This record gives sequence, C-alpha cells and structure tokens, in this order.
Amino acid sequence: MLMERLILVAMWLFGFVGLFLFIPRKDRRKGFLAFLMFQAVIWLCDIPAFKYDLLRAPVRELPKATDLPLTIDYFFYPVLFAIYYVHRRSKGNLWSRITYFFVWVSVISLFDIVIERYTDLLEYEFLKWYGMWMYIVFLFYVSQVCCNWFFKDKALFQAERWEMNEN
Amino acid sequence: MRIEWWLLLSVWVVATGILFFIPKNKIRLAVVAFLFQQIITFLIGLVVVEFGLLEYPVRLFPTVNRTSFTFEYYAFPVICAAFNVWYPNHRSNLIQVGYYVGFSSVLTIAEVIIEKYTSLINYIHWDWYTSLITIGVALYIAREFCVWFFTKGEV
Repeated sequence: MLMERLILVAMWLFGFVGLFLFIPRKDRRKGFLAFLMFQAVIWLCDIPAFKYDLLRAPVRELPKATDLPLTIDYFFYPVLFAIYYVHRRSKGNLWSRITYFFVWVSVISLFDIVIERYTDLLEYEFLKWYGMWMYIVFLFYVSQVCCNWFFKDKALFQAERWEMNEN
Repeated sequence: MRIEWWLLLSVWVVATGILFFIPKNKIRLAVVAFLFQQIITFLIGLVVVEFGLLEYPVRLFPTVNRTSFTFEYYAFPVICAAFNVWYPNHRSNLIQVGYYVGFSSVLTIAEVIIEKYTSLINYIHWDWYTSLITIGVALYIAREFCVWFFTKGEV
C-alpha cells in the first residue's frame, strides 16, 4: 500500500516536473490542448474498459467515487502525451515519425506492464500485455488525429496568427 | 422506461443539438471550452461524491463511476462551450455579469427541480446555492482559460 501511494505521489511530482522541463514556453498552448484531448479520450475509453473488466485498479485515489485510476487517467498519461505531441516532428520522413510514435507507445506500455506486475495500482483481467500495447497505440493515435485536426488550419487558430504577426 | 432514463436521453439529445448551432469559425473555441470544463468537472465531481456531499442514484456506468457521467463528461462541458461561443465580450460589465448569473441560475434551477422530483441526483450535504456558486466559478475559470488560450499571443 505504501509503495503504491509513493508511486502515485511520484507520478504527480514527475508529471509537473516533466511539464515544466519538456514543454517549451512557446508550445504551452499546444501542450495544454494535447493534455486536454488525451484526457477526454482516455476517460471515455477507460470507463467501458473498466466496466467490462478488461482491467481493474485495486489501489486508487477516490475508491468510493470511481473505479478508475485518477492519477494515471487524469494527469500522468495526459502529461506524457502532451510531451510526446509537442516534440514530435510533423514534417520529418515517415519512418522517423513512425519510430518516434512506436518508441513512445512501447515505453509507456512497458511502464504500464511493470506497474501491473509489481504493484496493486493496476490489474489486467481479460487484457494481456500486448492488448495494453494495442490499447495505448489506439489512445495515442486517436488523440493525435484530434490534435492535428485542431492545429490544421493555422489561420483559424488565433494564438498562432498572433505569433506570426509578431515575427 | 423510467422518467430518469428519459431525462438522461433527452439531455444527451439536447446537448448534441446545441453543438450543431455552434458557428463554424468558433469550433476551436468550443473545443477548448469543452475540454477544459471537463477537467474541472471530473475532479470536483469525483471529490464531492467521494466525500458524500452528493449522490447520483440513477446514472450511466453505475458500477465503475458514482458520479454523473452525463452531466460531467458531456452536458456541462457542452453548456460551457455554448457559454464561451456566445459570450457578450464587447458589451457592458452589467450584461457580462448578467450572462454569468443567467447561465448559473438556469442550470441551478434545473438541477433543483431534478433533485426534487427524480432520483438522478440527491443532495446530502449540499444546497442550491452551493450549486449556483460552483457552476458560476467553473464557468468563470473556463472563460479565463479560453481568453488566455486564444487572445494572448505573447509567450
């Protein structure tokens, strides 16, 4: 129990540190939007996933209010996605973009699998480790498509336009 | 079907209907308002249920989520999006304050009626003015965020 609590505290701590260190000031809006978008997607997908017992979160922050892991869904993974999204190159060649995507997704899945294996923060029920990998691929891909749509038309995005006028 | 389920269904339909009225050049504003409102309602909604201030006896996904998914994930964020899209930005302060009071009051009145006549929501340690204040504050925070997100271009 103590270890789980410490990990949750560490997630908040490293999440905030990560936000400050890895999101440049000029990309704050991009990072914020990616954070919000991923959160909306993971919440929507996790509710049915937990309802149909694909996985469980035995140790969690608000056990009476929800069966979902608040820190992971609400904060930590959205932060990771925001860092991922801000630093991805939209114009590099296809292979480097694909590699970048899959390295991120695989490292996060690995982290998730380790958490599942060695702590009570997560328990996979019907889900296998490769299922979690596919699930995270899906979450990242959907959020990325939505964020790309949002930033697609720069003329419509006022803050971007502002910056262009400045330069 | 019980009245509660009809109500939930109509809330989803009406909220989706509101989305269709959002002008095309304000879709991004609506998206930001919607998403940002979610992070407020998720957290506060869960915390008030955890501490037993409110309960939602009839709800979606009852086994995994003891808060109102309909209100917190969809209805209130949609209202917040509408609130921001049609915000009277260049009008007098009185009208702007009236706009806040109007939105908060209508939502609170609807909630009080729903609380009284259905089991969608039960107040335990909660009063109508708590709703009024929290809704107003939530709308205000989201509005400030949207203003920052879109108009202040400097870093």
